Amino acid sequence: MRRFALRFLRSPEGMVGLVLLACLVAMALLAPFVFPRDPLSIVGRPLIAPFTDASLPLGTDRLGRDVLAGLMHGARASLLVGVFAALVAVAVGTVVGTVAGFAGGLIDEALMRVVDAFQVVPAFLLALAFVSVTGPSLPVIVFAVALGAWTGPARLARAEVLSIRERDYVAAARAIGMHPAEIAFKEVLPNALPPVLALVSVIVASAVLIEAALSFLNLGDPNIVTWGSMIAEGRNVLRTAPFLSIVPGFGLVLTVLGVYLFGEGLVEAMAHRRGRQ
Amino acid sequence: MTTTLATLRGLSVSYRREGAQTFALRDVDLDIATGGRLAIIGESGSGKSTLALALAGLLPPEASLAGTIDWPGLDHVPVAGRDIGMVFQDPGSSLNPVLTIGEQVSEGAVRHLRLGRATARQRALDLLARVRIPQPQAALAAYPHQFSGGQRQRIAIACAIAASPRLLIADEATSALDMIVQAEITELLDTLVREDGMSLVFITHDIALAAKLADRIAVFRDATLVEVGPARQVLARPSQDYTRSLIATHIDFSAPRLIDERA
Amino acid sequence: MGEPFVTARGLRKVFHSRGRDVTALDDVSFTLARGETLGLVGPSGSGKSTLARVLMRLIEPDAGAISIDGEDWLALRGRALRQRRGAIQMVFQEPLAAFNPRATIGGALDDPLRIHGIADRADRAERPRRIAELLERVGLPAGFAQRAVHEVSGGQRQRVAIARALATRPALIVLDEAVSALDVSVRGTILELLADVQKSDGIAYVFVSHDLAVVRVIAHRVAIMDAGRIVETGPTPGVIADPQSAMGRALVAAVPRLDFGRDDGA
Repeated sequence: MRRFALRFLRSPEGMVGLVLLACLVAMALLAPFVFPRDPLSIVGRPLIAPFTDASLPLGTDRLGRDVLAGLMHGARASLLVGVFAALVAVAVGTVVGTVAGFAGGLIDEALMRVVDAFQVVPAFLLALAFVSVTGPSLPVIVFAVALGAWTGPARLARAEVLSIRERDYVAAARAIGMHPAEIAFKEVLPNALPPVLALVSVIVASAVLIEAALSFLNLGDPNIVTWGSMIAEGRNVLRTAPFLSIVPGFGLVLTVLGVYLFGEGLVEAMAHRRGRQ
Repeated sequence: MTTTLATLRGLSVSYRREGAQTFALRDVDLDIATGGRLAIIGESGSGKSTLALALAGLLPPEASLAGTIDWPGLDHVPVAGRDIGMVFQDPGSSLNPVLTIGEQVSEGAVRHLRLGRATARQRALDLLARVRIPQPQAALAAYPHQFSGGQRQRIAIACAIAASPRLLIADEATSALDMIVQAEITELLDTLVREDGMSLVFITHDIALAAKLADRIAVFRDATLVEVGPARQVLARPSQDYTRSLIATHIDFSAPRLIDERA
Repeated sequence: MGEPFVTARGLRKVFHSRGRDVTALDDVSFTLARGETLGLVGPSGSGKSTLARVLMRLIEPDAGAISIDGEDWLALRGRALRQRRGAIQMVFQEPLAAFNPRATIGGALDDPLRIHGIADRADRAERPRRIAELLERVGLPAGFAQRAVHEVSGGQRQRVAIARALATRPALIVLDEAVSALDVSVRGTILELLADVQKSDGIAYVFVSHDLAVVRVIAHRVAIMDAGRIVETGPTPGVIADPQSAMGRALVAAVPRLDFGRDDGA
């Protein structure tokens, strides 16, 4: 495990990703302490340009709200949705994939057709439809994003399980009379997990973007500030105050980049470990 | 009377792993005679496969090599594929699944002998016939998965000798096969080497196979050369305890049975 | 010696692959007595591994019957089958592939003990003691229980596999090429261990191998397989001395003799 961490830190992608993510997490965690006031409250004159007022370094928006406070509080929403949506998607996906691959036959057919059904609808449309029906709130958005993301892990887990199912150690577990459920979840699933975990970074990145897009369309949680809603806000004054869209846009780009590079570093460190065996 | 194809002096191969240096081969002196058949015997971790890679110049870049390999029998540094043919344990992974047998067998001839397409095809056909693939004409257009393990190994041998190498290295080339196919492949290697006057380095863990095929035997253990000599001498009068124990633990029809006969 | 322990009658199995039917078992019948070793020998693709797995109920045959200790082995289902599996255990060719890559040796031995409640009734503390006993039985130190399976050598791993098979106190162990992947010097010691266990515990073996010389060392009787059929069967020394089938003759001829060098040299 320590060697794994060392290898990860030695890869340039992993290192850059880690630094970016650490900054984001720090922003999200520090936001309530640095800006204890509601970031949606008015703190000054509207449309102060960035770097002109020392107390409001990134300026204010159309309603005179602090852009820096919005940026930091917005990181919370992005990271929360990204991480929890990925957790739900991977958990549901691996369980469905494992059951389908391990049980085979009709159960496999049925579950995989459900996966197909979810996969033919674009993830964003699925989330959009779900949120517009149930009404926007953070848990709903997490669920809506996961709805379009669990099929990838499910397919991958199933493919892994199909190959692991034929290994001798699974035959050995059957030979000692182990219950099929115990074989599936104790012998097969943990070994099917590593390639699925490599998908996590992609899911987190797309979850962050979907959440932003939902907020941009005013389908985000109205009670919290998110980068997507900030960009939507800034769109109205894009010609006169482009920074209002650029600043949160920058946050999004760095988040997605950080998550992606971090994932690359993990995959690389993992590949190393596998290659040595 | 015999000339030397290759001379290894003080050959060491080591890898640096987590700060420590581990030797895969340590201070090996060995000669390979032109037209000779040298068997390299050893158990897992003895360094026998590293020796094959070092000879063929195919060591991974992180390996550090000390000592010398000279080729007095050649007028140039040998190129793997042209001067040295290699046959590995698993023909399933040494053959490319998406290329036809014809493409793979003629590839060596095209690249190293600069043959034209038609001549190379004819040569591939001859090679497949030589390794006794049934219906070589049809086999040219077929893919590896259409053949059994034994036939795939024959095809891998055809690839290895396509450019008429001076040295053929067979690294555990028969250990993934069943006894009957193993006997056939050993027989085939014997014939090919004899007909073409190739030198053979035959790497195996099975001392009886070595006895069948080789005129010299080198025994390796824990990265070092234990003993080397004419096959008959090493087998009949081994000078080292380890060689004696290898011979003693070999199981053939004269090995003692471990069970009582039942009524 | 009375009723045979295992009786197999008319076993048949056809695999469908790439639109072709491959007959892996074709009307296979045999018997096995308690404490006896039957060698199953044949080239690759002769059906010997399929037969081993059918016997283990890892593959279901298309037709035929197997009775074990007078009971219809193929009729068992679900929980009843899982409970009865303890009586028949298996050792695989590749000791590394036969264990969960994450398993420790102690954990791998604990599973069968837990599932079959071997040491459960008395108390929990009984299980580590029983694991130590099993390790000792196969010639490994008790401290090995803490180690990961992938940390030990191939021969030691195969000893752990034998210990796992012994954990359920079976009456039959199916050994599928159990010594083929091991170093030559280790092979002999594993065969000795198997013979020793058989003598003390009276366990029957089905010993699958492509190497007739190894089978001769360990098996009382041998069945030679070719293209899904048993083509010859009899006491091992007799079959080797005078094989009746073409496959028997080919297998005998394929064993290389250690005849101290070639005599055609220069």
